[in-house]
Amino acid sequence: MLSPERLALPDYEYLAQRHVLTYMEDAVCQLLENREDISQYGIARFFTEYFNSVCQGTHILFREFSFIQATPHNRASFLRAFWRCFRTVGKNGDLLTMREYHCLLQLLCPDFPLELTQKAARIVLMDDAMDCLMSFSDFLFAFQIQFYYSEFLDNVAVIYQDLLSGKNPNTVIVPTSSSGQHYQRPALGEAGMLEGVEASLFYQCLENLCDRHKYSCPPPALVKEILSNVQKLTFYGFLVALSKHHGINQALGALPDKGDLMHDPAMDEELDRLLAQVPGLVNATSEASCLPSRTSSRVGSPWRPLHHSRKVDTESDGSTEETDESET
Amino acid sequence: MIPGKYRSVSGRAANNVNCGLHLVIQTSTLPEKNKTEFRFSRDTSPFPGRLLQHDLERNYSSRQGDGRVISPSPRNKSSFISSTTNVTELYGLDMKTTTSSFSAFGDCSIQTPFKSRLRQGCHSAGPNVSGDHINLVSSSLPSFPILQRSSEEKSLYSDRLTLERQKLTVCPIIDGEEHLRLLNFQHNFITRIQNISNLQSLIFLDLYDNQIEEISGLSTLRSLRVLLLGKNRIKKISNLENLKNLDVLDLHGNQITKIENVNHLCDLRVLNLARNFLSHVDNLHGLDSLTELNLRHNQITFVRDVDNLPCLQRLFLSFNNISSFDSVSCLADSTSLSDITFDGNPLAQESWYKHTVLQNMTQLRQLDMKRVTEEERRVASVVAKKEEEKKRESQKQSLLKEKKRLTINNVARNWDLQQRVSNNAINADRKDCASPPRDSCQLDGSTTSSLPAETGSLDSGLTSALQGLSVTDTHLVEIEGDTLSLYGSGALECLDRNWSLQTAGMVTTISFTFIEFDEIVQVFPKLKIKFPNSLHLKFKETNLVMLQQFNALAQLRRVDQLTVDPQGNPVVNFTLWKYYVLFRLSHFSMQKINGTEVTQNDMIMAERLFGILAHVASSELPQYRMISILGDARRKQFRYLLETKGKKPGIASEENNDSKRVMGENTNRATLNYTTKEWHNEKLEEIKEKKKFCQMYVEDLVKEATDINMKNEALQKLWPQMFIELVRDAVIEIRNKNTYMKVCLQQITDQK
Repeated sequence: MLSPERLALPDYEYLAQRHVLTYMEDAVCQLLENREDISQYGIARFFTEYFNSVCQGTHILFREFSFIQATPHNRASFLRAFWRCFRTVGKNGDLLTMREYHCLLQLLCPDFPLELTQKAARIVLMDDAMDCLMSFSDFLFAFQIQFYYSEFLDNVAVIYQDLLSGKNPNTVIVPTSSSGQHYQRPALGEAGMLEGVEASLFYQCLENLCDRHKYSCPPPALVKEILSNVQKLTFYGFLVALSKHHGINQALGALPDKGDLMHDPAMDEELDRLLAQVPGLVNATSEASCLPSRTSSRVGSPWRPLHHSRKVDTESDGSTEETDESET
Repeated sequence: MIPGKYRSVSGRAANNVNCGLHLVIQTSTLPEKNKTEFRFSRDTSPFPGRLLQHDLERNYSSRQGDGRVISPSPRNKSSFISSTTNVTELYGLDMKTTTSSFSAFGDCSIQTPFKSRLRQGCHSAGPNVSGDHINLVSSSLPSFPILQRSSEEKSLYSDRLTLERQKLTVCPIIDGEEHLRLLNFQHNFITRIQNISNLQSLIFLDLYDNQIEEISGLSTLRSLRVLLLGKNRIKKISNLENLKNLDVLDLHGNQITKIENVNHLCDLRVLNLARNFLSHVDNLHGLDSLTELNLRHNQITFVRDVDNLPCLQRLFLSFNNISSFDSVSCLADSTSLSDITFDGNPLAQESWYKHTVLQNMTQLRQLDMKRVTEEERRVASVVAKKEEEKKRESQKQSLLKEKKRLTINNVARNWDLQQRVSNNAINADRKDCASPPRDSCQLDGSTTSSLPAETGSLDSGLTSALQGLSVTDTHLVEIEGDTLSLYGSGALECLDRNWSLQTAGMVTTISFTFIEFDEIVQVFPKLKIKFPNSLHLKFKETNLVMLQQFNALAQLRRVDQLTVDPQGNPVVNFTLWKYYVLFRLSHFSMQKINGTEVTQNDMIMAERLFGILAHVASSELPQYRMISILGDARRKQFRYLLETKGKKPGIASEENNDSKRVMGENTNRATLNYTTKEWHNEKLEEIKEKKKFCQMYVEDLVKEATDINMKNEALQKLWPQMFIELVRDAVIEIRNKNTYMKVCLQQITDQK
């Protein structure tokens, strides 16, 4: 309530911009959906739980895609949920195809569109090798960029296209995501791969875009950092750089660093416990205990506050305990 | 050949009168031939039918048992006389009762002990015959002896001449015996038939046990009726063209490989080809009078043309190489055949032998020398009836199978079409896709190639109780043993039918082919009720594309085995699918997936890969969501969990665990369920409505709230100033105390 933007906007717009309205609407919607059940344990309790889960990022589990992509927080929550649930798949060392990753995504979000997965895969793979296998981390980071900055990237594609063809991109009316994709692919395949565009000019356009863009964008400083290293670059070169950039991942705050991607001690503990319950199991626990236990005090909480990615958080400790209780 | 030798033989014969031959070398012809008849009248002969049996085997056996047939002595090799015929019919000779001649001839044929006696008999029969009368002269032709009989001999046996065991190497020239009707050369060494062309009235010619290599020299003997050539070296049946009246032809014990040149013998009644080298029987047409055919001891593998023998009554095929009834199937078409032997053939070893033969040849009276009893016939007909039924059944089944194959083809085609349409739709939707799904063409190829294999496997399962239940064009339902197979989406409707408890209980395997998985999901509840024992599910061409689709299987009662054919189920290409199935369906403790045993390591792996997902799903899902996701069935229980949790968190957690174990399915997995696309879309549609309402509602609320807030803020902003103004006014008012008091007092009085 005290942030400076608060005063710059009328209340309603402010709430809308901060997606508070989205959550309020959704909460009411959920209430409506399950009113018999919820009325039994109290509407106040429901709202508490709802907003708690929003804070923890667990509200997106098994929700419809339209809701999952509705807010940056939801997107980040989804990314994090995906990482937490399927970290073990990556840890197992399996290389999977795009379609298989898509299936995993669909386990969390039944109507997750194939298109997004395909786009993410295209960042990792060449155009003609879409059936190839990808490692979990490659896919995850590419997917993060594609999913979180989806609209931004669509616009970047248009700008890139215009730069390639020599048009002044600033005159372009920024299209919405759906219209942007259609003419993106073919031309990129031909010329884009070979030469790319001038990095500095590209940056100017992107900066311009970030300014007017109402969706989330990567921090301009980091974009600048990426683009300042090279003279020319291609669209996919840019995307790859984005996906691999440590700072952007941190800024996004949904996933740990690449090096720590496989570490989630709390969940590992949980997994050990689950493995011990597998019927007729003998030596699973001993095997599981061989896993490298991190000395790091970072706790795999359902949600770490964004932008404080590397801090130990006492609150999250509490929440972990809570989940433990409910599970065991 | 060598005349000298011959002479010495004849010389010896002359010395030993008991040779039984009556060689009369005489030119005089005595008209008393009537006297010297060999005559077999029906009344005198103890064996009325057994007349000219030199080496009979068959007649004895057929009449008196099979002892001689099965182990025929060398002498018992050939038989050629029909048991029912009597001599009169056979020879048309006029006959007189002469006991001696009967015994002389009739007995000699039977057996060795009789033989000697017969010679005696012969001797005694012609007491006036002496060795002196036999005279072999080699005058005109140096190489051939000329035979002449004495006139007494001639008069005694005017139409009969026996040259048995004379060690003859050639046929002697027989002079002055043109009316001779019976000529016997048994047991000599004759290599060639010669010098008898003048004996044109010859009816009976016996050359048994010689060394003849070719049938020849008979072309003039037009009236010949009995030709005995047994135990020779003949390789080929030939030169019988003019012997149109031939009644009996004995060629047993030769080297004949083929039946030929007999088709003109329309009067032939007995043909003996035993102990030859025949490999098959064929070319029998024209033998219109043949009643008996002896083919024992050959290497015959098949018999044809027997149905062209209108009078054939007895056929002897013992000791050949016939192994199936099919190779002698023409026998079944013969209406006259009443007596047949098959013993000593591979065929006769078969269990089905007797009743098959009896069933196919109902006219049979004797089989392998044994009378066919009514009982046997009855058994055979019962067996045959059964077989017939079986055949009809199998025919029905094959018809059904063909129909089934066609239906499956049709279903496959429809499915293909449907897939292509949907694929095209997808492609159209995603024109920008860099890699359009190539599944469609792959699908085509695999579908067509799969079908033959499928039908092949069905053929092998013929014996199992196949029971086609409904065959229509677009779908197929079939129960085969314990497997219920459904082809095409229409087949799912069968689950609405009333299945008998027994049938339903028997079904343990259910296979789905060419059905959209989403459609199958919808019938799972029905499946659970109608087929409670189903343990094994098979999916083929069902469009299983996502892991989450397996969630739907969790609602079934029990699944022991799961088979997902890679055809039309792309999900099988995923490395994780098996583990996901194991994880999601862990409460079933599955035994086999796609035919592979599930090991403990698989279970661990599955848990390791997806355990966290379940944990997250159960522990981190907000309660309100949990309730909405879990079905009605689980709600109650979950409410209970909620209550306990609210009261005592510590204890509740334990109870929670207990109840979780009691439940078939882990709660943490229950949240992972599958909704079909249509249903999902419906739900989304529903939500959209609600959302719209919520949006409006919240918008109104928020607007109102912000409005109030704004007013409040405005008020807050104004309030201090207002207060100050109020105070100022008040202060100004009371600044002059006296005037103010006056005003006040005035007011009071005014009030009063």
